[in-house]
Amino acid sequence: MAATSFKEVFDKLNQGVVGYVVILLHVVAGSYLVYSQPRSNLAFLVFISSLLSLYFFRADNRFKILVGMLLALVIIPVIGVRNIFYLEVIFQISVFAALSLGLNIVVGFTGLLNLGYVAFYAVGAYLWAFFGSQQFYVLNYAPGTQPPDLPFLLPGDAFYLFLLVAVIIAAITGILLGLPVMRLKGDYLAIVTLGFGEVIRVLANNLDKPINLTNGPQGITPIQRPTMPEWVVDLFNSLFSGVIGHDVKLADMYNVMFYFFALLVIIAIIFVTKRLDDSKIGRAWTAVREDEIAAVAQGIPIVRMKLLAFAVGASFAGLMGVLLAASRTFISPESFNFMQSIGVLSMVILGGIGSIPGVILGAAVLTILNLQVLQGFSLYLNDLRQSDAVIPVINFAWKDLSTQLDPAKYQKLLFGLILIIMMIFRPEGLIPAKRRKRDVSVDETK
Amino acid sequence: MALLEMANITKTFGGLKAISDVTFSLEKGRIVSIIGPNGAGKTTFFNTLTGIYRPDTGTIKFNGKSLVGLRTDQIAACGIARTFQNIRLFADMTVIENIMVGMHVHLKQSPLQTLLRLPGFNREEKEAEVKALRLMQYVGLNNVENELAKNLPYGAQRRLEIARALAADPQLLLLDEPAAGMNPQETEDIIKLFRDIRDNMGITILLIEHDMRVVMNISEDICVMDYGEKIAQGSPAEIRNNTKVIEAYLGRGAVAGQHEEKLQ
Amino acid sequence: MKQFLRYLNVKELVRPIGQMLAFSLGSAAVMSAIILVLALVLDKTAVGTALVNKLNVSLFSYTLSNLPQVVIDGLTIGFVYAAIALGYTMVYGVLQFINFAHSEIFAVGAFVGVEVLIFLQTLGVLSGASVFMAYAYLSLAILLAMLAAGGLAVTVEKIAYRPLRNAPRLVPLTAAIGVSFLLQDLIRLVEGLTTGQFNRIIPTFGNFDDRITGKMTLGATKLFIGISVKSIIVIVAAVLMLVALNYLVNATKVGKAIRAVSQDMRTASLMGINVNRIISITFLVGGLLGGAAGLLYALKFTRIDPFIGFFPGIKAFTAAVLGGIGNMTGALLGGIILGLLETFAGSYLGVFTMGAAGSEYKDIFAFSILILVLIFRPQGLMGKNVGQKA
Ligand SMILES: Nc1ncnc2c1ncn2[C@@H]1O[C@H](COP(=O)(O)OP(=O)(O)OP(=O)(O)O)[C@@H](O)[C@H]1O
Ligand SMILES: [Mg+2]
Repeated sequence: MAATSFKEVFDKLNQGVVGYVVILLHVVAGSYLVYSQPRSNLAFLVFISSLLSLYFFRADNRFKILVGMLLALVIIPVIGVRNIFYLEVIFQISVFAALSLGLNIVVGFTGLLNLGYVAFYAVGAYLWAFFGSQQFYVLNYAPGTQPPDLPFLLPGDAFYLFLLVAVIIAAITGILLGLPVMRLKGDYLAIVTLGFGEVIRVLANNLDKPINLTNGPQGITPIQRPTMPEWVVDLFNSLFSGVIGHDVKLADMYNVMFYFFALLVIIAIIFVTKRLDDSKIGRAWTAVREDEIAAVAQGIPIVRMKLLAFAVGASFAGLMGVLLAASRTFISPESFNFMQSIGVLSMVILGGIGSIPGVILGAAVLTILNLQVLQGFSLYLNDLRQSDAVIPVINFAWKDLSTQLDPAKYQKLLFGLILIIMMIFRPEGLIPAKRRKRDVSVDETK
Repeated sequence: MALLEMANITKTFGGLKAISDVTFSLEKGRIVSIIGPNGAGKTTFFNTLTGIYRPDTGTIKFNGKSLVGLRTDQIAACGIARTFQNIRLFADMTVIENIMVGMHVHLKQSPLQTLLRLPGFNREEKEAEVKALRLMQYVGLNNVENELAKNLPYGAQRRLEIARALAADPQLLLLDEPAAGMNPQETEDIIKLFRDIRDNMGITILLIEHDMRVVMNISEDICVMDYGEKIAQGSPAEIRNNTKVIEAYLGRGAVAGQHEEKLQ
Repeated sequence: MKQFLRYLNVKELVRPIGQMLAFSLGSAAVMSAIILVLALVLDKTAVGTALVNKLNVSLFSYTLSNLPQVVIDGLTIGFVYAAIALGYTMVYGVLQFINFAHSEIFAVGAFVGVEVLIFLQTLGVLSGASVFMAYAYLSLAILLAMLAAGGLAVTVEKIAYRPLRNAPRLVPLTAAIGVSFLLQDLIRLVEGLTTGQFNRIIPTFGNFDDRITGKMTLGATKLFIGISVKSIIVIVAAVLMLVALNYLVNATKVGKAIRAVSQDMRTASLMGINVNRIISITFLVGGLLGGAAGLLYALKFTRIDPFIGFFPGIKAFTAAVLGGIGNMTGALLGGIILGLLETFAGSYLGVFTMGAAGSEYKDIFAFSILILVLIFRPQGLMGKNVGQKA
């Protein structure tokens, strides 16, 4: 009851110029706040939530796209370079949004619960980590024993080629894994994908012998990045160094670049997802999700459709893997554990399974919770521990608080709670998926 | 040559013979019913025909082509569409999308066309939408194209299932208890619909039905099953007077009770 | 006494013991035979020479001399897997639902049991305890572990699964994954806040670490047998529980109701069976077994952490699938086979691959088995092949 009345009130307000005003105000106020208070988490939240206003308030689409581009292409990079931590948060949101969108094809559209999704991410990451580093020349050395000054196998610009290669390899991996197990009932598939995720991680951990493919638990570093032309840095500086307050260094420019890459991937995924969803393929996916037997009786080859979904989802993860390896210049098996897979799944479920804006929101909320709220809370507790403060009534000195109580380390608790609460109270997520309404009439084409 | 020829079909589940040595053939353009007490094996017969189960023995020929060993989707693509005893719609898709899923095998759009939204794609989608809307209206549903299937009332769901099956342009339409749960008026309407489907679309219809008003009214031929066996086949008049059939229904006390009067 | 015996269904006590014996001996014999043949074949190849160069012993006698120990270890862990697998299989039988959080029920059992023992140790009663008292304390710890785990399993079902009983399949599964994650961190949180650390070590007491050793000469090969008392405790305790479970399910009224509900929940409820109560009992029994398995596991491997449930849980699930999910005898067989396979792989993989791959692959071994089983025999070894209904 409360929800509907809130929606009604909101809809009543959300008319005419109100949308334009709110969006502009929110963007301007948010930008100003982060700009003037570069260290405040709250300012950042106000700023980043302007994307919500942009989504929910009614305005002309061209206006929205314009504001969105301004935000994504100018304001975020500038603010991000001023406080590189924000850029990191936004980069991570983008990475997880891309992963969630990929997983959404598999879980949301097709109804296949994939619990080992980051395995495909790992495939992409290790692919570029191997070919874009010195690892090829380390094959015969145990980890840590290689001589210094080994050459790199491929130039950094091969990165672009490997974006494509990773898409293909990850898709093939997805098909190979899917082929034997697609006939199984959904919950078996979940366990098998979970197993696959662990297999990939264990392989990454142990394939430092007999030949050193992955460098074991120590991981591979340095991994190359594509070259950044001098003039890009110069141009950026000549445009923005005044606003930022200092000259931007190459390293920061790289962060901006990878943020742009992630943004491009997101746009590509949304493009592909939307177009597939609204076609024979997407309808077949949803039909398989809704009722396999009815779908197959309508002539839909369910195994092939599931494999396709699996492959498309996997290829996006592979792509993001290459991006991750290059942006971090270091990867190790621990970046690809089960918790990451569940984390991405939680984002999809929290945001709204099958819903593109929902999934992006889910990724943003969880990443911010993770990177800012939990960590902020941890820092706050640490400050208290260092102080002489005492909790009044029960007379408990903060000093004595166990150092184990470190909220930043309790992500599993957070993910677990989200999964349970969403399943019980709102399985459709924060922004539920909607079916497209069609405007068809018979007479005109008669 | 008959449209469908099934010979010596047997299907067992563990020790239970759900279909036992059934031979059956169906001429093009007819409306034929399968009747029989609960658990006689009627639905299993459909499931075996559509490849959901593989028969233990026997042959199935459709237009002279063997269906045994083909996957369900391949069999559907041969021109056999069906509905289900316990309605199976794509609950969270809209009505029109449900029908469009039915056209899956006929849509030619390639992934490339889909991604680039080439003219061929747009034209095909538009045509599919229009065709789906026509089918929706044809089965008697109006102005519900954007409703979710799960929100339709029961009778409308049954009709939607038929529209979805028709969307595949089948040669043979299998209906599993299509009139179950309908009131007399709805039953009357649906009988008309079946006649029209046969007469105007030229689709052969094989239906399972318990409601003898429907069966006796519409069928040109009736096949009776009991305990997995085919015990009789013939015109409504013949079946009405067949002692074996009467025994199968009346000899079974409680279960057959509901059919008793209907048979008369 | 006579009166009592009349009510006791002796057949249901003897039959499971026979089964366990047959499964254990059978699987052990088959696997031993395979590995010995393999060793004989590879003895003259590079694999054999490499071992001779390294340890100065032929591959065959290396394999043979380690065999008894490997079999015992395999059976020990196999029975633990079986006890956990039964929890998965019973719940699956009744609800067709993979209780993903069962591995954390197991972990909670381990923690409660170990904390009880640590508490007894701080009281000072453990160190000087006589052998008899040591067993009494251990039994007490097992009992409390069982109660805690069983109670938790029932609670989780009530809160997180029951509201979702009619939702699509993936919904309760997702909730179960959530519960699993939540419990892992809750254990960590509680342990961290109360003890300041979350890795716990089971106290040493009693004669559990003693080994019954023996040597045997078989031709030119010396066989070393060292069975730790722990292993025997684990096996005996597991066997007792499995017998009790079998009795409960096959020879009591509650058991009959459980079987009825797993056959057909709706009909069972029409027959006047309180389905909710039976489901609670199923979770309770699964939890009791899982909790005991947790402490037994801790006893065997001494060190526990909040994430300890993950691998045993996955492996036990594999065991349940291997045996035929929903089938209790299958879970027993699956557990024993998986425990043996894994221990064989862990012990021999290194030598047989000349060090290229070793026991580090032990944990993913179960997954490979799971995938193979699902491809070639999805209904498992003892499951019935039931088609999907349309
Ligand atoms: N997948 C299956 N596994 C095991 N037994 C089955 C399966 N499908 C059907 N049966 C059994 O086969 C027999 C025939 O069932 P079927 O559903 O074909 O009957 P029916 O004639 O359609 O009955 P109704 O009129 O009630 O729909 C029944 O005894 C049923 O329990
Ligand atoms: Mg039927």
